[in-house]
Amino acid sequence: GLLLVALLVSHMLLTKEGVTSLPICPNGSVNCQLSLEELFDRAVKLSHYIHFLSSEMFNEFDERYAQGRGFIAKAVNSCHTASLTTPEDKEQAQQIHHEDLLNLILGVLRSWNDPLIHLASEVQTIKEAPETILWKAVEIEEQNKRLLEGMEKIVGRVHSGEVENDIYTPWDGLPSLQLADEDSRLFAFYNLLHCLRRDSHKIDNYLKVLKCRLIHDNNC
Amino acid sequence: DILQWPQISKCRSPEMETFSCFWTAGNFYNLTVPRMLQLLYKKSNEEDWKECPDYITSGQNSCYFNASYTSVWTPYCVQLASKNEVYDKKCFSVDEIVLPDPPVHLNWTLLNTSQTGIHGDIQVRWDPPPTADVRKGWITLEYELQYKEVNETKWKELKPRLSTMVPLYSLKTARDYEIRIRSRQRTSEKFGEFSEILYVSFSQIGIGCDHCTEEVEFPWFLVVVFGVCGLAVTVISIMLAKQPRLKMLIFPPVPVPKIKGIDPDLLKKGKLDEVNSILACHDNYKTQLYSDDLWVEFIELDIEDPEEKNRASDTDRLLSEDHLKSHSCLGTKDDDSGRASCCEPDIPETDFSASDTCDATSDSDQFKKATEKEEDLLCLGRQDNDESLPNPASTDLQSRPRNTQPENSNVWAPFEDSIESPHLSVHTQISNQNSLTSTDFYAQVSDITPAGRVVLSPGQKSKLGRAQREGCTEQNFTMDNTYFCEADVKKCIAVTSHEENEPHVQEQGYNEDGYFTTESLTTTVANFGASTAAPPSSEMPVADYTSIHIVQSPQGLVLNATALPVPDKEFNVSCGYVSTDQLNKIMP
Repeated sequence: GLLLVALLVSHMLLTKEGVTSLPICPNGSVNCQLSLEELFDRAVKLSHYIHFLSSEMFNEFDERYAQGRGFIAKAVNSCHTASLTTPEDKEQAQQIHHEDLLNLILGVLRSWNDPLIHLASEVQTIKEAPETILWKAVEIEEQNKRLLEGMEKIVGRVHSGEVENDIYTPWDGLPSLQLADEDSRLFAFYNLLHCLRRDSHKIDNYLKVLKCRLIHDNNC
Repeated sequence: DILQWPQISKCRSPEMETFSCFWTAGNFYNLTVPRMLQLLYKKSNEEDWKECPDYITSGQNSCYFNASYTSVWTPYCVQLASKNEVYDKKCFSVDEIVLPDPPVHLNWTLLNTSQTGIHGDIQVRWDPPPTADVRKGWITLEYELQYKEVNETKWKELKPRLSTMVPLYSLKTARDYEIRIRSRQRTSEKFGEFSEILYVSFSQIGIGCDHCTEEVEFPWFLVVVFGVCGLAVTVISIMLAKQPRLKMLIFPPVPVPKIKGIDPDLLKKGKLDEVNSILACHDNYKTQLYSDDLWVEFIELDIEDPEEKNRASDTDRLLSEDHLKSHSCLGTKDDDSGRASCCEPDIPETDFSASDTCDATSDSDQFKKATEKEEDLLCLGRQDNDESLPNPASTDLQSRPRNTQPENSNVWAPFEDSIESPHLSVHTQISNQNSLTSTDFYAQVSDITPAGRVVLSPGQKSKLGRAQREGCTEQNFTMDNTYFCEADVKKCIAVTSHEENEPHVQEQGYNEDGYFTTESLTTTVANFGASTAAPPSSEMPVADYTSIHIVQSPQGLVLNATALPVPDKEFNVSCGYVSTDQLNKIMP
């Protein structure tokens, strides 16, 4: 009960940060189009929210299951999106073309679509999983879909040429989430959540860089 | 001394472009040569450990990784080792260790002051840390401001915010303040270091209020006044609650009309059956139900009234129009004797309330009014015969002064209807009653059932024009209308109709609506009958109804012996009742 209340409160506080959907188009308008600035604003808000949830979820999981198991030492693993060559520092982020960067963002988001669905369902099978973790998993999966839609809209606006859809990394980590051995299973979850936190931070950063570059002309 | 191993204290990136790691050497080594310790690092996708590229830039016991060595989202591992041993190891990624530098260029401006000049609002501004590239959006910072008065110890905190300016309201112009700010990456939890302290002094810009040293003190006076008022109100309310007199003075109780056990709504709706049943359940009511002379009781004799005593019979009294008008049809005025009649003198309707205490005359009034239409059962003789009975009963009575017995049963039917009302006694008036001066013209109520039904014993046939009932012994004991044989205390069956009428009468007898046979009479009736049988110990037959001579008690009445001519010997004196034929023989 107390957890639920805390969850509600945190949810309310989160929604205060502007994740709630804003009415875009007036009623009855047919060709309603958001400005690119508005689209970017929303995308940044969503990405920030997703990263915030991922970060919290990882911290909770770490606290609850990873202590004493030595997961940290092993956590230097590679995420399934490591094959995507994304900018690793500011310089690279400055130099990459914004269209490429947008495509990369899309690729990362698409690559996480599948794992997030499975995460939301598999995390429920963890015994005595806290309600907060369960809720966050579902919420992240939902918000990721919305961000994907928003990004596709932005790409459609920004792209001059055709949209590349081939940037994508498949995920094959489902069996590891369903291992019989509890320790191995929890380690798989730990890694996945760790990767999720990292990638959501990446996306959030790229979008902010793009926003400042495209909308504010590098003067945020 | 405790042995301390060398350990990596922290690794930090101020702007997500470079990072540094710091360690402590511990006291393990007695080595004077610095940097026996090495920091090795490895990226996750590499296999070899590499040595720290820069031991100097970040100070002693540190390792600085510049931008070319930094990959933000790449996992790193660093380890502190000497040639032989590894003392500590840490793994992280750069985005996790971001701790921004403090903001710079803090300043404040005055927004406004209060009218009294005691308080003022200021706006504090600052710049983000220069190392953090906020402009290009590479890092997003949020700031937390803390302030306090100069001589205070505890800092007040404001909520972290993204903007680089914040107003501070209601600062005391007479005091000086200190302000400090720190920042953190927006999605992180840890803050960086605090900035330098900004001093705010109003006197420096000439606003300081020299005479504004008065503090706003706690308003003791107001507190005392309101507290006393509250206490007074509480005391008064307590006193009011405990003093019924006072309470009644302020909140007078509103009386509600009520009879014990009777729902006023019933009376209003006029559901007489239910009320009758309710009233029948009254104890007082019940005891009187089984009294043989209920009808007598309700005649309301006033023994103190000489006029009453001089009456030859109730009949005469009742026949007197004046009397009838001035009194209730039941008889005399209510003298509130122990008979407990709640019949009020001027009320023409019957009074059947049985309570000695007469719980609520108002209710009986109500009831009377409610039943006004139907009533006048008791006053049948009061007006014209046409009006006396609500229904066909009257016509029946009148039209059948000499009805044959078979029709007698019909006569009872209207009575049944009229008896539906909870009147205890029924007076039937006969147009021909004048011819029977010495006989009363009431039908004797033998019994009142708990349900309120009136049990009638058949009246004198001559009045109703019906055949007189036979004497006791001459009839079989049928379950019909019977006379109560007072002398023998046994039920004398005087069939209202002869044997040929038995079927009808039997129907009547079993008719639950109208009346019941006198077999339902109780022993009290028998006793009563016995007492009243005294006068007719002589051969003089006792009339069906006798007038009350003396009222002795609520339950006892002494009857006058009616002046009837001595019947033939044929009469069964023991029964004391006269059949019609017998009566006809007797009467002139």
